[in-house]
Amino acid sequence: METSLPSRSLGQPGFLSDLRAFGAILKREWRIFMRYPSWMIALFIWPLIFPMMYILTGRALSGPDGSGLKVFTQTTGATDFIGYIVIGTTVWMWQNIVLWDVGFSLRNEQMRGTLESNWLSPTWRFSYLLGHTGPQIISMLMFIGITALEFGFLFGVKLNGSVWMILLVMLAAVPSIYGLGFAFASLVITVKEANAFVFLIRGLVMIFCGITFPISLLPGWMQSFAMWLPPTYLIHGMRAAAFSNAGVTELLPDLTPLVLFGVVWLVIGYFTFLLMERRARQTGAIGQY
Amino acid sequence: MIARKDWKVFWRYPLNAVSNIFQPIIWITPIYFMGKAFSTNGQAIGFAQYSGTGDYMSFILLGTVLSNFILTVFWGMGFALKEDMDAGVLESNWLTPVSRLLILVGRTLTSLLTTTITSLFMLAIAGVLFGFRPTGNTLAAFLTAIPMLLGLYGFGFAFAGIVLLMREANTLVDVSSFLVQGLSGANFPVKSLPYWLIPISLMLPLTYGFDAVRGWLLKTNTLLPLQTEVALLIVFMFVMLWFGAWVFYRVERKVRTLGTLGQH
Repeated sequence: METSLPSRSLGQPGFLSDLRAFGAILKREWRIFMRYPSWMIALFIWPLIFPMMYILTGRALSGPDGSGLKVFTQTTGATDFIGYIVIGTTVWMWQNIVLWDVGFSLRNEQMRGTLESNWLSPTWRFSYLLGHTGPQIISMLMFIGITALEFGFLFGVKLNGSVWMILLVMLAAVPSIYGLGFAFASLVITVKEANAFVFLIRGLVMIFCGITFPISLLPGWMQSFAMWLPPTYLIHGMRAAAFSNAGVTELLPDLTPLVLFGVVWLVIGYFTFLLMERRARQTGAIGQY
Repeated sequence: MIARKDWKVFWRYPLNAVSNIFQPIIWITPIYFMGKAFSTNGQAIGFAQYSGTGDYMSFILLGTVLSNFILTVFWGMGFALKEDMDAGVLESNWLTPVSRLLILVGRTLTSLLTTTITSLFMLAIAGVLFGFRPTGNTLAAFLTAIPMLLGLYGFGFAFAGIVLLMREANTLVDVSSFLVQGLSGANFPVKSLPYWLIPISLMLPLTYGFDAVRGWLLKTNTLLPLQTEVALLIVFMFVMLWFGAWVFYRVERKVRTLGTLGQH
């Protein structure tokens, strides 16, 4: 009896099979994400608690008669110091969460002991990272939306600009934030315990990117360094879009570097992945933990 | 024995020490620059109206050092229990004829020493970077911190009991740590809190600890006369030690009855 073989071997992936694999990973990650609903509590609590330390300190610095606040308004041009701080701290949390979630996605798989077996399947391996990114972006959008709602209702933070412009700035920042996450995730396969690297990156964002202050207050050399960090433009752009009613033209000085950094970080992320993946296979590090 | 083991483990990972020194500095750097945005000629006038000092960085640095100790004592015992649970040695440790509270205290002794060392380094580095100018009575401030820390052991015992019961208490730890430190004025004078939060803040013994230590060392305005705050801290110390031990032993008996001590 003759058996008809498919014209194309299952072992040779094509675009459609890669797409199916990506869809399967996306579905699996979403299922895992929904299976542990305790993240819902964190989703509501952290957007409030983390900025609160800076907001309450800002309140104390304002003074009972608001004399400090007047100085702050003159220095920053911002009339709403709570909104000003919330945008900075939200960007910091975004970068921080991406580093932990996307950055440690392959490592978690390694710890579960499933990375090596998945690696043997004839799929585009980068789709493992992309698949982790999908649910992460959705949960991050929810996180940012809840932050906006909580501070809008509880603290009366009002937008003086277009939501679409804010979303545009955030969209421009997605490639750079996740590109860094991809590069980091790739490094972690080989380095394994890389918590110190997360502390370093989030520390740099915290010190240099102006999460609670305008970077014009930094010394010259720190300002020059801040210009090499994408969150600096993201924070500046989001504040301009949210509180100064900035349009696309006014936002171009932030959007252009964000897109350029995005391209650079995606390329770095992809090639770091290829390099580290090959290195890990050669050294047998894929299955180690 | 327990303290010596923890000392060895801590120094086996020297990056931890470096991280303990620099992490607090990283966290307060945004406050340093934010304070500049609220200041004229280096003086935070608004802040001075609440606290009695325009030197907000000394105020915050002192709060950060005290917070390091609070974290060590308050959460250290609970975390140590969790580590033992995960390592699977809790049940066997429990079988030894040693007081349970002594095991808990032993787990914090090394941490207290390492926290002192890393906090001094942190203070020295932050002093150079941001300026730290204590002008008051260091000895009185140190003596005031002692009943506060001892009282915290009471909190720590109670919290360790909760960890025994809940087993996975990371979110609880993170959230309550942020709330307790925030509401007791680790980074700002509690008078600046919204009026509805002030009563909660005044109910926390730590509020008086932060306030009194700063009052002695930085000559800031205090909520109550300094002697009254010290007396309150001593009372809280006895109450908290008794209450914490009581909660811990009750929970521990319940956990032993349920047979969940070895689970994690």
